[in-house]
Amino acid sequence: MPFDHHELAALPDIVAALRREWERLAAPGTWWSGAERVAIAAEARLARGVEAATPTDLPLGAREAARVLSSAPHSTGPGWVRSLLDAGLDHERYVELIGVVARLAAVDRLTTALGAGHEPLPEPRPGEPSRIPAEGTRLGRAWVPMPQGRSIVVALDHVPAETEAMKDLHGSLYLTIEEMADPLIAKGLGRPQMELIASRVSLLNQCFY
Amino acid sequence: MLRASMEAHRWELHLEAIADPTLDSGVPGGTTLLAFVDVTVGRAGPVEPIRRSVADAFGPIGLVRAAAVTANFEMMNRIADGTGMPVPRSSIESGRAIIDVLGLERLAARHGH
Repeated sequence: MPFDHHELAALPDIVAALRREWERLAAPGTWWSGAERVAIAAEARLARGVEAATPTDLPLGAREAARVLSSAPHSTGPGWVRSLLDAGLDHERYVELIGVVARLAAVDRLTTALGAGHEPLPEPRPGEPSRIPAEGTRLGRAWVPMPQGRSIVVALDHVPAETEAMKDLHGSLYLTIEEMADPLIAKGLGRPQMELIASRVSLLNQCFY
Repeated sequence: MLRASMEAHRWELHLEAIADPTLDSGVPGGTTLLAFVDVTVGRAGPVEPIRRSVADAFGPIGLVRAAAVTANFEMMNRIADGTGMPVPRSSIESGRAIIDVLGLERLAARHGH
């Protein structure tokens, strides 16, 4: 299994983060059930030609969002997000979906870059979404509600559990928010090497941010 | 962050290499890392040879870290592009040289600049 790949074994903190992510993916979220979150992940992989198509009850807007964010994120825009909302997706479910698809893209990139293939999606866990609304977010210049702030760290704050999940993976794969302040930090690679990778990935993905 | 970390190491950055990985970025081992990203993200060739090159240059942990950082920015790019995270005008102004060198004007326009 990809999470047991021999090269990953040298960095157990990363393996643990991947396993936590798979637990989160399978569990009920804030606005989607565990089955829906796994279905979103399957749709995201389908768009990249990884998973075979399976029957799904996901709303059309969610399927569209998962496919585009997975395979062509550079093609999004405010009009596209409005069309998803017009199709019945609300901001809460859309933000949670972004988190699920984005973290799946990270997990899949890590395992495939190491030649380990794709970890099978987890079995969904039963239960209801928590439906705990966020506080302190509002719609401004961004396409989704978020707090006032200039850091991408707050981008998913309309669904706080998604922010926490992002920080968890970010800290293991790259740097914790605290570590980011240190330009001389080294974790297997030096900071310039890490930032060079980051810059080229973002350029290839046509991501300005 | 790339510029700041290069300055902290007192290394000279050649930004053009981000857009043209055949150039020398000034980052030690940078050409190998850029090729790794191009193969894994950009599907620019077979993965195994470049994986071996990264492992030779940075060791087995360096290889996993290179894959992990690549993975992290696959995540962050999707969060930025999904949410329409605004780019502060001050960042646009201070990064004008980077925008010009890398030809990012079209991407900046997506964020209202």
